[in-house]
Amino acid sequence: MTSLKEDLKKQIIEQLNLEDVQVSDIQDDAPLFGGGLGLDSIDALELIVLLEKHYGIKITNPEKGKDVFYSINSMAEYITSPKG
Amino acid sequence: MNGEIIFRKDEISADDFTKQIYKNSKLDYSKFYKMDLLSKFAFLGTEILKAHSKKITEYGDDEIALLFSNSVSSADTDIKFQKSYLEEGSPSPSLFVYTLPNILIGEIAIRNKWFGENLFTIFPKFDSDFFANYCNILLSKNTEACLCGWINILDENVDVFLFFVEKTEVNRINSPLNSEALSILYKK
Repeated sequence: MTSLKEDLKKQIIEQLNLEDVQVSDIQDDAPLFGGGLGLDSIDALELIVLLEKHYGIKITNPEKGKDVFYSINSMAEYITSPKG
Repeated sequence: MNGEIIFRKDEISADDFTKQIYKNSKLDYSKFYKMDLLSKFAFLGTEILKAHSKKITEYGDDEIALLFSNSVSSADTDIKFQKSYLEEGSPSPSLFVYTLPNILIGEIAIRNKWFGENLFTIFPKFDSDFFANYCNILLSKNTEACLCGWINILDENVDVFLFFVEKTEVNRINSPLNSEALSILYKK
């Protein structure tokens, strides 16, 4: 799980072009949106693409995305859950 | 800048040219990294102009018009977007939002909170008549200054020329921006 979270952080930094952000800057339980990363609605769409590209997971319900993309923890949990 | 070379590309650096200029200018605007090349050059050109003429930042938020042009629209980003879904399997939302050339005007407007007149046109080549005529029309009304630019980028060919036109006491009394002089400046 730790490795997955580290991978997610690296993938998010790369996919979202967060050049000024280091892996260590992203806390596992910190909100991805509305926090220091300055993510916007386009970034939310990029995260959907990221999940599909790297993990083969499609998110079709926008309401579900809100919970899945809350933090690194929630993303990792969703990926490893049976429904993920 | 005004005929002077202020920065040269470091060929050894791992950073591309825009990132080198960004760092050299000591800018702090993380959204820069998300922009496409058109917006990056428009953003950097504007920041360089501001750094060399503080007066630009003293205008009211609706007193500066943004007037830009090129010949290839957003083709450079359009091609990258097309590649993202044809070759990489997933259309990139962050590329898609830049598949219009006038987005660069939005980036400048957001950065500086400038809400004046704005226009992006596509011409076969740099058209000094158009810039001179349109600037003079705008300056004859409520616009106090025009930030103008030709930003043409395709396949790593970059042609960027920004200029700032102010309403002065001289052109306020019918001595308009001169198309010929502008054309000579562009060719330099």
